[in-house]
Amino acid sequence: MPTTAKRTKSSASSKNKKSKATKFRLPKKYPISFNVNGEKVETETFAHTSLLYLLRDLGFTEVKNGCEAGDCGACTILLDNVAANACCILGVQADRREIETVKGIGTIDNLHPIQEKFIEHGAIQCGFCTPGMIVSAKELLDKNPKPTRDEIKAGIAGNLCRCTGYVKIIDAIEAASKRKPSKKGK
Amino acid sequence: MKGFDFVAPKTINEVLSTAKKSKKVKYIAGGTNFLPELRHQHDGPADLVIDLMRVNALRGVTVSKKTTSLGALTTITDLIENKDLNKNVPILAAMAKKFAGPMIRNRATIAGNIVDGGPAADAIPPLLALRAIVNLAGPRGKRTVPLDKFLLGYRKTAIKSGELITRISFPTPPKNHKWGYYKLARRNAMAITVVGVAVILETSGKTIKKASISLGSVNESPIRCYDAEKLLEGEKADLNIVQEASELCMEISSPIDDIRASAKYRKLMCEVLPRRLLCQALKIKMEK
Repeated sequence: MPTTAKRTKSSASSKNKKSKATKFRLPKKYPISFNVNGEKVETETFAHTSLLYLLRDLGFTEVKNGCEAGDCGACTILLDNVAANACCILGVQADRREIETVKGIGTIDNLHPIQEKFIEHGAIQCGFCTPGMIVSAKELLDKNPKPTRDEIKAGIAGNLCRCTGYVKIIDAIEAASKRKPSKKGK
Repeated sequence: MKGFDFVAPKTINEVLSTAKKSKKVKYIAGGTNFLPELRHQHDGPADLVIDLMRVNALRGVTVSKKTTSLGALTTITDLIENKDLNKNVPILAAMAKKFAGPMIRNRATIAGNIVDGGPAADAIPPLLALRAIVNLAGPRGKRTVPLDKFLLGYRKTAIKSGELITRISFPTPPKNHKWGYYKLARRNAMAITVVGVAVILETSGKTIKKASISLGSVNESPIRCYDAEKLLEGEKADLNIVQEASELCMEISSPIDDIRASAKYRKLMCEVLPRRLLCQALKIKMEK
């Protein structure tokens, strides 16, 4: 299992270590563009930079860095309306794709029913898993507007909550599904 | 980490001609194995990484009366949601529902799971039981390899440098075939398999006409239990023959100790699980 100590192998830190990097051929940067929450983003990135690092470097810090191995789901985003772990996608693979983060699902002034119910039910403890949880819940309710509790559990199976606040999270998603089928998205 | 070059071609021919230009090439599709491994590779994975996600020829699922063909980029979620597959080959959806978690399933491809060749690759046991054939394209042309001959050992496959999997195909099982799948693991989701078992049977009346049994996570790579299959074929289905076959499954397994389970426990389960699945599939009362 990867440890946080190995996290230094990223594009973000390679910028600060230019003297060491010159031993190698400097990696090429690739110009890419994609939409994040409906807004066009143009940037350039190394081929080895994950979409997680790329998005966070661009300021989309609502995409959380948990395990970088696809285990925890904190970095869940919608890529072309499909939930995916941003840590398991190369930034360059997202070229000309449509990305949605938790901020695209609803904003503070205009909350999505799932977000409303998360607040109502206190389904947020430390809040670190929440962005990923809400994106996963959104995909679940888009595919299955009236899930059973077991189906909700299966739907958020890829998201870990280290506070173990699962009961409230499941309650919130259940309440959101009963309120009305999600209108946003597909 | 040493960086790498990246291209995302749109056709198989483009992929192959680009691959020829570099000595060390690696393909990427879903990335669910590629990226977690990337962080531990100080020399980088390759000089050139080719993205296959934009090659449409590698997509698509076709189910005909005779053959089923899965494009290399078929995701694990596709196996759950494809109606033709659900109707004709339900074992694949049963496996897919136990595969990692929803987000990994959305990206992970069936060819990626096979070419990675891990002992605990969940997609392999059902495909072994379906007697799948791996269709490859490479710089020296196309070829096909049966899946059981494709897996050579721990994370070792018969794939050659520059080659890629284009499709996985297998004979569509008859409508009344019987099947069973079980993934023994420590959790319901995001779990690495302790023992995986897939069983596919064709019967006429009480007689077993054709049997396929495969085990995952108990050898260097998933295996078919040929001896047990041979024993069952042509026999009348009863508890004795099932018991004997399950013992043969246990004999062929050579599991290891690890943090998830002991070798002893795994070995025991290699007898229990095939017996249970065979009894359920053949509607035999299990006694002890």
